[in-house]
Amino acid sequence: METWVVSNIVVAVLVAGAVWSGVYVRRSEMWAQAARELWRRSPVALLVVSLYVGIALVDSVSWIGGDGVGEDTVALHEARSPIDRLFADFREESYSAPLAAVTFSGETPLLHPGTHLFGTDLLGRDILHQVLKGARIALLIGGVTSLLAIPLALFFGVSAGYFGGRTDDAVFFLMSVLSSIPSLLLLIVLVMVMDKSTLSVCIALAVTSWVGFCRISRGETLKLRELEYVQAARALGIGPVRIMYRHILPNLMHLVVITFVLMFSGLVLSEVILSWLGIGVDGSWGRMIDQARDELSRDPIVWWNLSAAGAALFGLLLAVNFVGDAVRDILDPRTLRENL
Amino acid sequence: MLAYVVRRIAYGVVVVAGVLLLLFVLFFAVTDPNDIARRALGDKVPPDVIEQWKANHGYDKPLWPWQAADNLLFDHFRRMVTFDFGRSDADDAPIVDRIRRGIGPSLVLSVPMFAAGLLLGVVLALFVAFFRETYIDAAGVFVCVLAMSISILLYIIGAQYVVAKLLHWFPISGFDPAPDVVARFLAMPVLVGVLTGFGGDVRFYRTVFVEETSRDYVRTARAKGCGEGRIMLWHVLKNGMIPILTRVVLAIPFLFTGSLLLESFFGIPGLGSITVDAINGNDFSTLRTMVFIFSLLFVVGQIAVDVSYSLVDPRVRLE
Amino acid sequence: MRGGRISAAAGILAAVATAACTNNPYPDRDAELPILYVAFREAPKTLDPAKAYTTVATQFNGNIYDRLLEYHFLKRPYTLIPALAAEVPSAVPLPDGRVAYDFELRPDLLFQDDPCFALGGDGRATRQVTAQDVVFQLQRVADPALASPVITAFGNIEGLLGFFERLGALREEDPGLAELPIRDQYARAGPIEGLVVEGDTRLRVILSAPYPQILYWFAMPFSAPVPWEAIDYYDGQEGRPHFADHPVGTGPYKMTYYDKQARVVLEANPNWYGVRHPEWKAPGATYPSEGMPEDAELGRLDPELVGQPLPFIQRIDFRREKESIPRFNKFLQGYYDMSRIIKESFDSVIHEDDLSPAMRAMGVRLETLVEPSVFYIGFNMEDDVVGAGGGARSRKLRQAMSLTIDSAEFVKLFYNGRGVPAQSPLPPGIFGYDPEYRNPYRQVDLERAAALLVEAGYPGGLDPATGKPLSLTFDTMDTSARGALVDQYLVDRWRLIGIDVQVAATNYNQFQEKVRKGAYQIFEWGWIADYPDPENFMFLLWSEMRRSRNEGPNSANFSDPRFDALFVKMKSRDNDAERLRLIREMRALLEEERPWIETFHREDYVLFHGWLRGVKPTGLSFPTVKYRKLDLALRESRRVEWNEPITWPAYGLAAVAVAVVLPGVFTFFRERQ
Repeated sequence: METWVVSNIVVAVLVAGAVWSGVYVRRSEMWAQAARELWRRSPVALLVVSLYVGIALVDSVSWIGGDGVGEDTVALHEARSPIDRLFADFREESYSAPLAAVTFSGETPLLHPGTHLFGTDLLGRDILHQVLKGARIALLIGGVTSLLAIPLALFFGVSAGYFGGRTDDAVFFLMSVLSSIPSLLLLIVLVMVMDKSTLSVCIALAVTSWVGFCRISRGETLKLRELEYVQAARALGIGPVRIMYRHILPNLMHLVVITFVLMFSGLVLSEVILSWLGIGVDGSWGRMIDQARDELSRDPIVWWNLSAAGAALFGLLLAVNFVGDAVRDILDPRTLRENL
Repeated sequence: MLAYVVRRIAYGVVVVAGVLLLLFVLFFAVTDPNDIARRALGDKVPPDVIEQWKANHGYDKPLWPWQAADNLLFDHFRRMVTFDFGRSDADDAPIVDRIRRGIGPSLVLSVPMFAAGLLLGVVLALFVAFFRETYIDAAGVFVCVLAMSISILLYIIGAQYVVAKLLHWFPISGFDPAPDVVARFLAMPVLVGVLTGFGGDVRFYRTVFVEETSRDYVRTARAKGCGEGRIMLWHVLKNGMIPILTRVVLAIPFLFTGSLLLESFFGIPGLGSITVDAINGNDFSTLRTMVFIFSLLFVVGQIAVDVSYSLVDPRVRLE
Repeated sequence: MRGGRISAAAGILAAVATAACTNNPYPDRDAELPILYVAFREAPKTLDPAKAYTTVATQFNGNIYDRLLEYHFLKRPYTLIPALAAEVPSAVPLPDGRVAYDFELRPDLLFQDDPCFALGGDGRATRQVTAQDVVFQLQRVADPALASPVITAFGNIEGLLGFFERLGALREEDPGLAELPIRDQYARAGPIEGLVVEGDTRLRVILSAPYPQILYWFAMPFSAPVPWEAIDYYDGQEGRPHFADHPVGTGPYKMTYYDKQARVVLEANPNWYGVRHPEWKAPGATYPSEGMPEDAELGRLDPELVGQPLPFIQRIDFRREKESIPRFNKFLQGYYDMSRIIKESFDSVIHEDDLSPAMRAMGVRLETLVEPSVFYIGFNMEDDVVGAGGGARSRKLRQAMSLTIDSAEFVKLFYNGRGVPAQSPLPPGIFGYDPEYRNPYRQVDLERAAALLVEAGYPGGLDPATGKPLSLTFDTMDTSARGALVDQYLVDRWRLIGIDVQVAATNYNQFQEKVRKGAYQIFEWGWIADYPDPENFMFLLWSEMRRSRNEGPNSANFSDPRFDALFVKMKSRDNDAERLRLIREMRALLEEERPWIETFHREDYVLFHGWLRGVKPTGLSFPTVKYRKLDLALRESRRVEWNEPITWPAYGLAAVAVAVVLPGVFTFFRERQ
């Protein structure tokens, strides 16, 4: 199946999932209260995060076909998102400053004077367009990695905590080994030995980031296992898989939410470093920063692409960090403080 | 007690063996030695030279023990454990020499950075905790989150541009270990290193201190008429140092490893810079060695922490 | 009271900080020393002159290893002058089509002082250079264990390849041979017939067929005399470095410090013939008195330089700079004496093809030169879609793609116009280059390209087999951000005619894998000449050099018997009318076949400060450091003037911090009371 079809399906699933969790949160007293509290504490950060998510989702929907604006043969046959369509044909010859009416070097008037909010890059591509597209990449990196890492961590952590003994020893050993290798280096080595693609970056990030959460979920499971209702369930002869699914996992969900939010900024920051080493993801903000850092010594200075990418990255991480703090304080003030 | 120490060390050895096995899988089972040889020798050499090169570097053996008694897996373990790291894939230089040369500059950079970071972190955290629940506290936390949300790459670019290029305070990059000049090269990387770390640190320290201030002994001290400043600097700081030191001690192994980005950008020829060169040059043997050394230091550091804890708190040994 | 103490402490701190504030990257005590500061980017892999083939290695080696011949500093086209040899030999025809060159070494040449010479007798610090040392080095070039990259060129020497075979076979038969001293191993393999030594100073080089370019190879460090003692002594044992990290030569400089990751120091070699025998007025040891007309205008023939004994500068300090921005900024601050211009800073330095007023005010000077180089986009001629197998259809596709790439714009965007759009593989300054020539397929003509695509069966870029735009792959190893921009530009150009080119940026290993399997379609490459001869460019398309068959540099795998026949005829001719005719014919063939889209010939812009004299860009990588001269007083005064620290922002920042915090502190204490 073509990637754009997959991407559209994923968007549909995500939207459905969001609606479902919205309904779920409304029904459950505890989560509904937490949501209200979160909204009360950091409305701005939440709105900012939703804005980024919205942009990423819109950019993930794409279809083939034209709508008559500045399209060439290739464009007509490739899947493009609404954002791409919005910016179709919105190009200059080369650099132009934000809102400029003439080109960067010289007096040639621009094709779209005064409309490039963040200016254009060396090839004349609109920076705003690239920054918007970066949102999708950033969320893809954070999202796909979490989707890989969290189930992995839950699986190992819960089974180690629940079964104990050999299973626990094995998982604990695996965690010790992985956490002994400096994560940045392990990350780099993993990306180097795999193919260069977005998915391999995500897999590498997942491998290096699941250990922290695995440790937490193992510890929590150890505690939960001893609780009376779990003991009771076991006495009734209910199988371990069912117990874990019905009684232990639900009690870890708040940790999942917190971990997801707190892990996110670290993942996106790691990608920036990978980009600097030339093994990042195409189209990411890290890539843009790496591309733009040399342009600071142009004269007159080309500051807008570095600032735009840097600001977009900063804005997302700042909002996510604030949301993360709030989520942690609301859902679990104690367990994670020492660990994350 | 001794039994605990022995057990802990034995476990450390097992973990190091695990690291070595993982490295082996990543570096040998996944990459083809022919490619490494081509990379090192260039495209123009005939196949027998490639074979020769592989033999010189020990890459011509079969991978696994069940293929031959003399295999790469055993070779890899033996070499790493005996610190016989061999030669670089890229230029045949002995890796040990390179590491020996890199440790100095790395320590010269990381020790001041570590000390300054710790000092600044604790002082700022105390300051913020002292003014807790005022706008200074809120602003402090906000600045911390702000600092955490900026990529280190942006810090470095900014520092080089503003501090070195516009203001002429320090050299843009470079290194010279001579005592009369070394400080000027360290100023900027230390500054950037402290900036990138202090957000998370200050926030953590502040939480620790704020928690301490709500404890009974603080209230008692206050009731006895102890000044707020004295409480902070004496009681709170003293008790708060335990969780802080735990966090700090675990960071000590990383002093040796230096910083990949800082060393590369500021031209400090330490271990981090060597690692980045190895990454950029596909120099797998050097990279492998660096990863192993870093992991080894980390494991040793952890054992040291655990053992010293067990001395302080006997309950640890029971776990 | 307390406030007073605090402000006093702050004052002292500020004073200390101001005093410590300097951006000088060198120790202050070095300021008055005649040291030339140069930056290098990549750590050289090896300095063994038999193997080192990179520009960075030549930057060091070229100054340490003197060759029999070298290039004239100022004259263009490039002219050979004698260095260790007393004269430039001319070809002596021999029977059976063989050719000989007779080199006469200067008398009384010494190697640099080095502990290795103690091997040849107690207490010796150096020894005489003989013709045998040149032969020894050429044997090393032919040593299979060294895998010298230039064995093909020196293989023109009679018997050199035989020596290679014999030595390899001997080593195979007798593994114990490798334990012997290197000279004994070579002795066992027997002599190279084409290298005849007569006495200490005469060397006759016999080629099995005419190959006039051989003299250029004798101007490169590959053929520099090397002492056998150095090979035996520097074996990496007992704390001694490897020979590859410890050069021992005869040149104007010797290496005194070598940490290739960080710093390399060269100092003048007192044993150099120029220093020991200034009375010879040898051309390689005296500043030249004649050059091109522009040399006089640019002050390169000023009286204080001309006729002076070389070298001027006693010490060269090479510092590693991995990142280009810091390197260039240090140049602007006066801490490097010269610099290549970097793309990003171009606009700040150059205005309308000349130095900007700001640079002029600083006394910076600029030299430009079109390098003997060619950059191109290549097609894999063994590919089904774009290659020779597709016949006329593929040829028209290549022609159409060639017609869309705008070299002038490409050079403007990515190299600030520092390049000459290429019409054929041959760059300016190379015999056969024709400034009037316009390749009809290297002009931008989208309409013609579209018409060709229709003829090729891809109307509007659509592939009839799929109904979609023709999809091709552009393979690159360059995963850098800048590389991505370059690739994007090309992709965007080809989109204009409806061809959908996908960039596959892979790492080195994956790229090699693809090359081995022939699974690549389009790639980008560049070539910088080893020596100024058209053969050094045209051989890149010779079928013998195909990557797929012989792992040669012909990555396009271009194989055309017509081209090969012309090439073989052209290769060994002197520069005459017939050679020109052959080159024109080859050019016409390439014009039509389009295995390459030639993009540009790179132009080098070298900037240097007013205190540095005797600078001329060379294009070819041959060292010219010995011709440079420094004005130390000027350098020091400029450095001080340009690097005054600006301190007010520090105080400003501190003031802002205090202003933000203080009200809170006051409120806090007031409330507490």
